[in-house]
Amino acid sequence: MIYLDNGATSFHKPQGVYRAVGEAMRSCANPGRGGYGAALEASRRVYGCREAAAELFECQPEQVALTTSCTHGLNIAIRSLVRPGGRVVVSGFEHNAVTRPLHALGADIRVAGRKLFDWADTLERFGDALKKGADAVVFTHVSNVFGYILPVEELAALCREKGVPFIIDAAQSAGTLPVSLSKLGADFIAMPGHKGLLGPQGTGLLLCKGEAAPLLYGGTGSLSIQQEMPDYLPDRLEPGTLNVPGYAGLAEGLRYVRRTGLEEIFQREHTQLLRCVRGLETLGMRVFAGEHQAGTVSFLAGMDCEEAAERLAKEGIAVRAGLHCAPYAHESAGTLDTGTVRVSFGHDADSSQTNMFLRAASKLPGYKV
Amino acid sequence: MKFYYITFRSVTFAQRGEKVLQKSGIRCTLQRTPRWMEEQGCGYCLKLWTKDVTPAVDVLRQNGVGMRKVYSQRQDGQLEELTV
Repeated sequence: MIYLDNGATSFHKPQGVYRAVGEAMRSCANPGRGGYGAALEASRRVYGCREAAAELFECQPEQVALTTSCTHGLNIAIRSLVRPGGRVVVSGFEHNAVTRPLHALGADIRVAGRKLFDWADTLERFGDALKKGADAVVFTHVSNVFGYILPVEELAALCREKGVPFIIDAAQSAGTLPVSLSKLGADFIAMPGHKGLLGPQGTGLLLCKGEAAPLLYGGTGSLSIQQEMPDYLPDRLEPGTLNVPGYAGLAEGLRYVRRTGLEEIFQREHTQLLRCVRGLETLGMRVFAGEHQAGTVSFLAGMDCEEAAERLAKEGIAVRAGLHCAPYAHESAGTLDTGTVRVSFGHDADSSQTNMFLRAASKLPGYKV
Repeated sequence: MKFYYITFRSVTFAQRGEKVLQKSGIRCTLQRTPRWMEEQGCGYCLKLWTKDVTPAVDVLRQNGVGMRKVYSQRQDGQLEELTV
């Protein structure tokens, strides 16, 4: 299989990740609960993950809350900042992991910036939207459908200038692009553990600047007499037994990313992205490409996107078609009715993957206007 | 040489404390906080064997590792809370 669905999850993990998961399952009891060897070993594994994340994302270990997914983290972040009915500004490229929690709160959602790959438009629209104020701003770092890299530093500066709390969805950028909690000054940055960070599924991270509201309540192994959740991080957000094997694996994924280097990983993906875009255009597909693009590209062939993906699957190519849980993004690009076929490269991107993909794609009919 | 206990709000702070003390060459062991030391219930502490706990407390403060309490072993072997 040629795996080009890294936007959904990374499939080929570093060997250390598989090893760490197995070791943790054999050697770890419940972290933060007991004082015997296996419990302390579990605590060390969990702390190792926090520490590795804190180094990569420039924050303190206790500011790293361990979650089950990026969606989990976004729910905590949104519930912490947005009151029911509150006005929230979001980009035109948000995932349902952002928009559904906002919708459930009855938030007044204002969409700012719908032009793909256009930083000037994105910044201008956010600036306009924030003139009327907002309870919070939420924006994705990279569109999961189109790979559009939003101008996060400028958007963060704008939010800080306006004094509006903000959340960054780093689902598609963590492990590929620099993400710094201390530099961006975000209230929260949410990310999955299983995509660019190369950990197991069922893991995620929520970087927290300060206060956060619990989403779940329960035992934390601390202040057990008190019936309120602890008022400090990370305990406030982490009731119940943690996924120790998952975080042990994620710690190894984080260390691999640091060792390899973000720039190197980005270059591997971006080099193949450019070859893929050129190849698809030559084949007569409608390709959504532009400046400020990460290792993800969407395209349309001359047939239904799901049927195209199915044909590619039969040729051994794994890509994702449809709406990618991001109707806002498709609405922005005008592809809500058709969906797209998405190709997303990962840390192991190389030219043989692109060649095999393009060979299979050449059997699809070209896009007809 | 006698021993001291430094208690923390959570295992995460205790572990960060352990790391910064070890980096400073101060030997310590992570363990559960004895029940009587923690009126709010469960927690973790660091046990230190040293003549003077002040350098350890200073290192923890400099690194922003929040402590709860410090206990010292008296000559009669009993423990007493220190004001730090």
